[in-house]
Amino acid sequence: MSSISSVNERTKANNPNKLNFSKQEKVDMMNDIMTQNVIEIKNLVKHYKGFSLNNISFSVPMGSIMGFVGENGAGKTTTIKAILDLIHVDQGEVSIMGTAAKNLSKELKSLIGVVFDGSNLHDNLTVVNINAIMKKIYPNWDEEVYKSYLKKFQLPEGKIIKDFSRGMKMKLSITIALSHHSKLLILDEATSGLDPIIRDEILDIFLEFIQDEEHTILLSSHIISDIEKIADYVTFIHQGNIVFSKSKDELIYQHGVIRCRKEDVSAIDKSYIVGIRENNFGAEVMIQDKDRFTRKNHEFNVERTSIEEIMLFITRGKELK
Amino acid sequence: MLGLILKDFINLKKNFKIFGALILLYGFMAFAMESSSYFSSMFTLVFAMLILSTYSYDEMVKWDGYALTMPITKNNIVQGKYITMLMLTVLGFIISGISLVVINTILNVDNLFGGIQVSALGAALVILFYSITIPFITKLGIEKARFIFIIVYMVPFFLGFMGYKAIKEQGLQPPVKLIEFFEFCIDHAYIIIPVIVLIALMLSYSISIRIYQKKEF
Repeated sequence: MSSISSVNERTKANNPNKLNFSKQEKVDMMNDIMTQNVIEIKNLVKHYKGFSLNNISFSVPMGSIMGFVGENGAGKTTTIKAILDLIHVDQGEVSIMGTAAKNLSKELKSLIGVVFDGSNLHDNLTVVNINAIMKKIYPNWDEEVYKSYLKKFQLPEGKIIKDFSRGMKMKLSITIALSHHSKLLILDEATSGLDPIIRDEILDIFLEFIQDEEHTILLSSHIISDIEKIADYVTFIHQGNIVFSKSKDELIYQHGVIRCRKEDVSAIDKSYIVGIRENNFGAEVMIQDKDRFTRKNHEFNVERTSIEEIMLFITRGKELK
Repeated sequence: MLGLILKDFINLKKNFKIFGALILLYGFMAFAMESSSYFSSMFTLVFAMLILSTYSYDEMVKWDGYALTMPITKNNIVQGKYITMLMLTVLGFIISGISLVVINTILNVDNLFGGIQVSALGAALVILFYSITIPFITKLGIEKARFIFIIVYMVPFFLGFMGYKAIKEQGLQPPVKLIEFFEFCIDHAYIIIPVIVLIALMLSYSISIRIYQKKEF
């Protein structure tokens, strides 16, 4: 998994005697590291009665936080289950750290921390019991790290999990995911149903985790504000299809909103329009390729937008005739 | 896999306490009835029922899907359950043996060997019962599989009862060869029963593994 060493090995393989690298070579090496994908999904298809994942493809670059967004039932959890090999896919390939998800070794699995929506820990257990169990499950379990997070999150030792609040259960699941030197965190709705203060606290932990450039997070959520706060990339899934998978900044930079009168909408070049919302006061038009549009159309004032707005315009914006 | 077995035993901690109370109750009944074999036969059977609780606990929190994201394979999960089942059965057998010694000493009777025989037979029956039911639990989940337990319990009982009734009504005498066969089986029970149990266990395990591999979470 160690990408830096693998890049070094590759460079050495090309020129085995070389020990010193030029500045440009170092930049290339760093780029190589940054463009390595920790998760790669290609043409994933899974059919259920009444729902399908249709040819899903996207990848999560190393060292980044990928926000995986979409409405309830859009296919986020199904995709995550496919990544974790918990379901059998009909078509397509999923690889984690360069290995097919189906063939992940125990060593690689021990580098992945997973948090699902809701607690998967038994009601009768205490945090002390969990430490004893996980010590036997994870070869790389770090008791000290576990205890430090318990302290940080103020999780009591004596109480059984049944008496924990939802927030406490979530914090415990996150603690487990962080206590075995994970390099990849896969979090499915890990912040949903929590109050804003706890959510903020948890997001800070994720930002701390990502400081290590070999660490990567895939965070699914329908709370877009969380994604906007921490994600580097955003993948948007809608009714089993990937609508986009792009850098967050690029998305915000490339899109914009024009607020105008309803009759002015017809003057906007249709090829730029992503969606239109009309109300009593006028119309709001989401456009793409903002730079080119503003160069050509000086008469419109294009306002800055957000990921949430982009998603809403795409899914609920009036269809163009 | 050790972690999975440990998880099951920690989860059963509360049940063990209840069983401690049950041991006392049965012990008292055995004492009152002045018979220890009742105690031994009941105890091994009831103790092994605990494995069903571990399935319920796991299902309640969707443990399997979570566990499979850890360095645990699907086979490990199935293996863990079979080992927990066997450990519980052996534990039940040992505790019932110890209790028999205690009761026999208190009652001042010498029925120890008979009691242990009954316990061992109970243990064999328990393993046989789970060899049939675990593949069903693996396939259907514990809630739906409960109906299967009733069938597994009732069908042999019902068939035996009907067979006995039919034979009795017709006044048939069993053929000598059949009686001889049964006598042979009883004489060699110490070999035959373990062999049957082992074969059933191995078959059951390989079926469960196959079912579990196809499961989705």
